[in-house]
Amino acid sequence: MRALVLALAAALACAPSFAQDRILVRSEPGTPVVTVEVLLAAGPADEPEGEEGVAYLAARSVVAPILPLFDSLGARLRVEGRKDAVSMTLTAAPDAWDEATRILLVALFRDPLEASAVTRQRAALVAELTARETSPADALEREVDAAVWGRGHPWGRPAVGTAASVGRIQPAAVETFLRRAFSQERAVIAVVGPVERADVDARVLAFLEPGPLRGGEVPPPTRGDTAVHTEYNAITAWVAASYRFGADADVESIRMLGRLVLDQVGFGPSRRSVYDQGVEVVRHAGGGELRIHLVVPPREAEAWGTRMREALAGYAAAPVSEAAFTERARRFRGRRLLELDSPEARADALARGALVGERGDPLAAVQRVTAERLHAAARSLDTPVMVYLGPFEKERE
Amino acid sequence: MLNLLLLAALAADTTSHPAAAPQEGPAVTVHRQPALPLVALRLSLLADDPRGFAGAGHLMQHLHLPNMEEQAARVGGRVQASRTSDALVYTVTGPASELGYLAGVLRSALGVPRPAQAQMLVALNALSEERAAERETAASYVRAALRQGIFPQELPAAGTPASAARLESAPLDALWGEMYSPERVSVVAVGNVDAREVARALRSLPAAGEARLPETPADTAPALAADTPQASRAWIGWGVAAPEADAAALSVAARLVRSRLRRAMPNSTVEVEHWWTHRGHALAIVAATTGARAAAARRSVAGALAGTATALDDAAVRDAAAGVRRDLLFYSRTPERMAEVLGAFADRGDGGDAAQRFFAALDAVTVDSVRAALEGARGGTPVTVSVAPQRLVPN
Repeated sequence: MRALVLALAAALACAPSFAQDRILVRSEPGTPVVTVEVLLAAGPADEPEGEEGVAYLAARSVVAPILPLFDSLGARLRVEGRKDAVSMTLTAAPDAWDEATRILLVALFRDPLEASAVTRQRAALVAELTARETSPADALEREVDAAVWGRGHPWGRPAVGTAASVGRIQPAAVETFLRRAFSQERAVIAVVGPVERADVDARVLAFLEPGPLRGGEVPPPTRGDTAVHTEYNAITAWVAASYRFGADADVESIRMLGRLVLDQVGFGPSRRSVYDQGVEVVRHAGGGELRIHLVVPPREAEAWGTRMREALAGYAAAPVSEAAFTERARRFRGRRLLELDSPEARADALARGALVGERGDPLAAVQRVTAERLHAAARSLDTPVMVYLGPFEKERE
Repeated sequence: MLNLLLLAALAADTTSHPAAAPQEGPAVTVHRQPALPLVALRLSLLADDPRGFAGAGHLMQHLHLPNMEEQAARVGGRVQASRTSDALVYTVTGPASELGYLAGVLRSALGVPRPAQAQMLVALNALSEERAAERETAASYVRAALRQGIFPQELPAAGTPASAARLESAPLDALWGEMYSPERVSVVAVGNVDAREVARALRSLPAAGEARLPETPADTAPALAADTPQASRAWIGWGVAAPEADAAALSVAARLVRSRLRRAMPNSTVEVEHWWTHRGHALAIVAATTGARAAAARRSVAGALAGTATALDDAAVRDAAAGVRRDLLFYSRTPERMAEVLGAFADRGDGGDAAQRFFAALDAVTVDSVRAALEGARGGTPVTVSVAPQRLVPN
């Protein structure tokens, strides 16, 4: 009898544990709001041909009818479309978060779709994308995506589609996509704020079916060239380097490496021709990418691309001295912690960690970087894909 | 229960240490967030600019800021400087493990700056640009003009053309001597730190200087009436001082007026703001609409307080109070912003726990107290500002 009770208890514990694995909680007494990050592992890889952008349009259409309810609760919702998931970030006061979360999850998993909401969101999204597609920053992102993943790859195109593709999507297609891809077993939920695990489970668990996370797989890239030159009508040139890394990569060390490279080639008193710069680490299941970009005069683009690669190669060639590392790590840790200063940023980091199979507190990860790990991370990175975007023909004339 | 939850969220583990003897450090308020390895330290020096030298405090901030930013960057930290109606404010945010270092960065702002001539020119130029920016576009111009009408004694943070000319040659040690004294300094810390650590890190502030300005000429308020700020829509400003106001009731009233005007003017932009400084309270309405709707919008704005007062009910007041609370909580969600909110409440002279008391007062707001706040404001003489839309010529 005792054995039977134990077996039953074990079975009961196992059943919801899969769902619980997809609920992450960071209890933070003193944080004045609760942020709930819902990641739905649905993106371009799930979209049928000719319906590029349907995942993001579906997410916006689902939440559009509930926005007035959030207004009345003083809650804020942000929706973003990414390659591997649609992200919904809900932030509310401690007395309103459970009601706001219930409304969001009911809308996501239970409410029928309103065709009129799709039509309105489609028009709004087409207008937004039309404006966005004229930006050189957006053009660079499109070119890097295509160069890294291949033009025929679902991740080689914009995660939110294009104005043209979104404009063609019909409400019926959104409805079909929703039923197929917006399912509970594709959801990861992270909650950050003055809440306890038990409170979160009590409110959220009923919306998640037991079972492991589904979706989020990355089709293998169909990559070709390692350097792409694209003509673009602008007065500046955009240079990007993308370094891919695998599932076992030391992500925080790579993040620090990106910062150090940017410190070396970014704007400074002796580098006045760098107009803008950026670095980001993009994670996905099975690995990720370190992307660094500079905006420079077109005739200097190649030289700056070389400097970027050489800066990173310098960290691979020899470890930095302990004194230099201590000074640089001190700065990196502070910057990284400041990037995570909002509950939205922490919830996003937590949920994305779960989506790519990495558990742990994102704030604690910052402390793990050492000089040896930094050196090893630099050595682990392969040849980058370089993308140059600018008025190169015009310059030659 | 609701109030308890919200109070706990805003002020869990918030402790105040009153100012000790000057040599022992400033008054410190700490809001502890033990799960966050960050700290935001907000230092405020309660000081008006010396008479005739409007912009002096903000000039000091421009002189100190580059060095402070460079120091903070060494630990990946961030510095902000702002000149509010009440105080010179510096906020440094970075890892909690660097508390002592960050406190040192803050302390460096309490000395007399010793700029090279080029640094002085850069700072004076920055002030000049800020003065121009305030009058450049309609949104900021309307607020500046309302402020000048409601609180005439308050001059722009960036000074005036006349004071700028004096600042060029004024002795910095005398300017600072007129403003700085360690007793006027208070600190708010938010993050994974405790009050004793913060007090220890900020012990022994610099002593007050003895230099004083030989003369303090009269201030001259800038003449805004002749300005033509950029505007593609008609802008309307309406404001009134509310000297005896119950702060919580006035904040709720402002929100109710905003809701009413937004319903009445769905195609316009409407903001209704509760201004609150050590000089007093005011209610300000700033609206932008198309030229054709301007006359109707002016009527709606002028009648908004009376209309709101006659349509009050318990549910609307309760919802508006909850809205004010939730907006404050949302705004305060980073340590830096939380320090800003707690510090701004304290700087008005109501002590380190002023934010918590305001939160508690929101729960006690009733239809009667909102009506009293609105009637009190209606009793004042309103200040109005108008900016006509300019015609856009297509390319």
